[in-house]
Amino acid sequence: MNNDDLIYYFDEQLFLPDLKAKTKDELLNEIVDLFVAVKNLKHSDVVLEMLRQRERLGSTGIGKGIAIPHGRTTSASDITIAFGKSKEGVDYDSIDGKPVHLIFMIIAPPQDENNMYLPILGKMVEILSKSKNRNKLIESESFSEFIEVIEKG
Amino acid sequence: MERHTELELLVALQDLDMMIEEISEVKRLGFSSEGEQELIHARKELASRISRPLLYSYEILKKRYKRAIVIVKEDNTCLGCFIKLPTSMSAIGRTDKTVLYCEGCGRMLYWLF
Repeated sequence: MNNDDLIYYFDEQLFLPDLKAKTKDELLNEIVDLFVAVKNLKHSDVVLEMLRQRERLGSTGIGKGIAIPHGRTTSASDITIAFGKSKEGVDYDSIDGKPVHLIFMIIAPPQDENNMYLPILGKMVEILSKSKNRNKLIESESFSEFIEVIEKG
Repeated sequence: MERHTELELLVALQDLDMMIEEISEVKRLGFSSEGEQELIHARKELASRISRPLLYSYEILKKRYKRAIVIVKEDNTCLGCFIKLPTSMSAIGRTDKTVLYCEGCGRMLYWLF
């Protein structure tokens, strides 16, 4: 997967430049609420439960201020990525114990065309492993600036 | 969350099954997975709350199709076999109270919208 392909999975309506949540649970709720509103789904509790179970497997706070909550759920029909930023930082039980500032939530359906879910997850990890990308994402104020970072990432 | 219908329990079970199935790939990407046994335990606990005949149907369908439950889209199309389902089914199906099966492929149906 290349970066140009990845940008098609982002949606301006799912861009949250100023998250209000202070805790992991509040954060998951805040993003899922938006996800459900934008996608017009009726089952936010199903998505939330899947994400909470996923956190039981191991924190998706991968360190360096990044969290990538993710999973497949029967309550999704398409792969969707939401991106949020928290200026204050969220206590997320990350592997390095530090608060998270950049959050990418990836929700995938039980079956996705061309099986793109894991390649997308892998690509996100690759982009976010570079400090220059993380810094640019922190600085990005608009959706277009954000997409530019992902595109060049 | 408190679940009241067996369909909702089955959906949660399928979500857990998909997660357990992909643990090794997610681990390969660098995510931690120390809670694997906890998830397997949660799966057993969840399965014990579903009636045996329904759980049996779920397991048989899972073996046959990999995913036992499929989504129904707004236009009443089964996303498993793409047949159009009767409108009469959607009124019942949308309540999540009854487990309905696709007339085309036999999978359990879950209305998203």
